[in-house]
Amino acid sequence: MAAQNDLSGIAAMIGVGHTDWPADHARVRAGDKPHDSYGYAAAAFNAALADAAISRQDIDGLIVGPTIANERMGELLGLDVRWGGQADAMTAVLEAVAAIRAGYCEVVALVYGNDQRSAAVKYGGPDAMGGNAFLSYVYHAPWGFTSQGALYAMMARRYLHERGMTEAELGEVAVAQRLAASRNPNALMREPITIEDYLASRFICEPLHLFDYCLINDGGVVLLVAEAEKARQISRKPVSIKGVGRFDLNKGATSLEPRLTDYYHSAQSKVADQVFEMAGLGPRDMDALQIYDSFSLHVPLALEGYGYCRPGEAGRFLTEHGISLDKGLPVNTSGGHLSETYMQGWNHQIEAVRQVRNEAGDRQVPQCRHVHYSSDVAGKAISIIYGAP
Amino acid sequence: MADAQPVLSLYDEPFWAAMAEGRLELQSCASCARFRYPPAPVCPDCLSMDYAWTPVSGRGEILSWVIFHRQYFDDFPPPYNAIAVRLEEGPILVSNLMGIMPVGNWIGEPVQLTCRQHEGRRQHAFEWAGAGAEGA
Ligand SMILES: [Zn+2]
Repeated sequence: MAAQNDLSGIAAMIGVGHTDWPADHARVRAGDKPHDSYGYAAAAFNAALADAAISRQDIDGLIVGPTIANERMGELLGLDVRWGGQADAMTAVLEAVAAIRAGYCEVVALVYGNDQRSAAVKYGGPDAMGGNAFLSYVYHAPWGFTSQGALYAMMARRYLHERGMTEAELGEVAVAQRLAASRNPNALMREPITIEDYLASRFICEPLHLFDYCLINDGGVVLLVAEAEKARQISRKPVSIKGVGRFDLNKGATSLEPRLTDYYHSAQSKVADQVFEMAGLGPRDMDALQIYDSFSLHVPLALEGYGYCRPGEAGRFLTEHGISLDKGLPVNTSGGHLSETYMQGWNHQIEAVRQVRNEAGDRQVPQCRHVHYSSDVAGKAISIIYGAP
Repeated sequence: MADAQPVLSLYDEPFWAAMAEGRLELQSCASCARFRYPPAPVCPDCLSMDYAWTPVSGRGEILSWVIFHRQYFDDFPPPYNAIAVRLEEGPILVSNLMGIMPVGNWIGEPVQLTCRQHEGRRQHAFEWAGAGAEGA
């Protein structure tokens, strides 16, 4: 395990780029299709190169997101590379760090594009994942149990019951993140909401309301990760990757066992030990959190799982301590998946980088030195700690 | 839209064959006796690949429940419920609660297996077996 400490600070994020989410969303809703997944990725790639002020020739590694093919993406971007891969946002960052540590490459482009809205990708119903897969939101379809949201609704019902958390306490997540989005020109949903709005909103899969669900929209994100010394040479504003960690809970996944009996807490607490030790930091050193939020429930789970509060205290933490830009520990300062854009964890990395760079405008967290990113998608607990170099 | 269809791997077929005759049978490991669900080629505890299809008691308790308010399938018009049931034998099943519903909290309520006709197939469902279930 000690060798993992060698990963701290060996790589840095040197550039971030993304598409114009609100403009593209407006076009898609009007029936237009601005790009396919590759086109969104390409637009984000150009934006990331401009942000980093590096040349394409500096890039010698390519990791693409789950929705696009590596070879085709590299062909489109004119990239021949020393090393390549395919991964979701958080795994892509971890793989880039590992590849840099191994010496496979020095500057890695992490490339994501998704036309999920205009392509009408289904996350529930007969066509979810082709309708025939050992995934918990597909397997139980004969009983009408479908969609990622239903998994989190089932989890939320038991979690709220066991922890004594109220619906209104959970609603703080959607309200706080909408406040953040109201200060973010890149966010799709910028109209502030109140707890009363939340409670009055319709149920999709009860106990979860509409506002507990992520958005579905098109777009692209590109992140550029470089070896730390190389980053100092070619970047004006590198953001250091101080710690990474991962633990997967696979046992009983389809039957919902780890969701309903553990809430992924055991995985998150293992990752907490790993990532905080690697970074030489603790929860109290974090100035902001970015939490993968396909559903609001991820936020209290991570607050408890990573030790920001004790198990059973997340409800009070949400309301009394606070998770908004105005009160407490700011969480999902861009609005996250609920209110900014559903870029499947990729937009959270951009926000972490911007906060550490002090480039977040009206939503800037004062003296933001360290940002913790966490995801617990389907029992894979992953963390990244970003900080000033 | 379309109807909800079962996932049919090689190991699911005996499950649905028994269900068609009104029986809920799960695989029990020939080596360590652990019950498992969904059906699988190997025991996740001891890695034995030997198993027997074994009837279960049908007794369980509700771990959690949801109410769907959005329509995803033609054959499931909302609102309808789905429950996660911990069987006495160990595995968790996702199913539907039929008949009389508990008032308020459902978590921890005892349930008993039943079988129902759904569109073109028979499948498991559960009925509330707690105090008050007989009342209404
Ligand atoms: Zn066994």
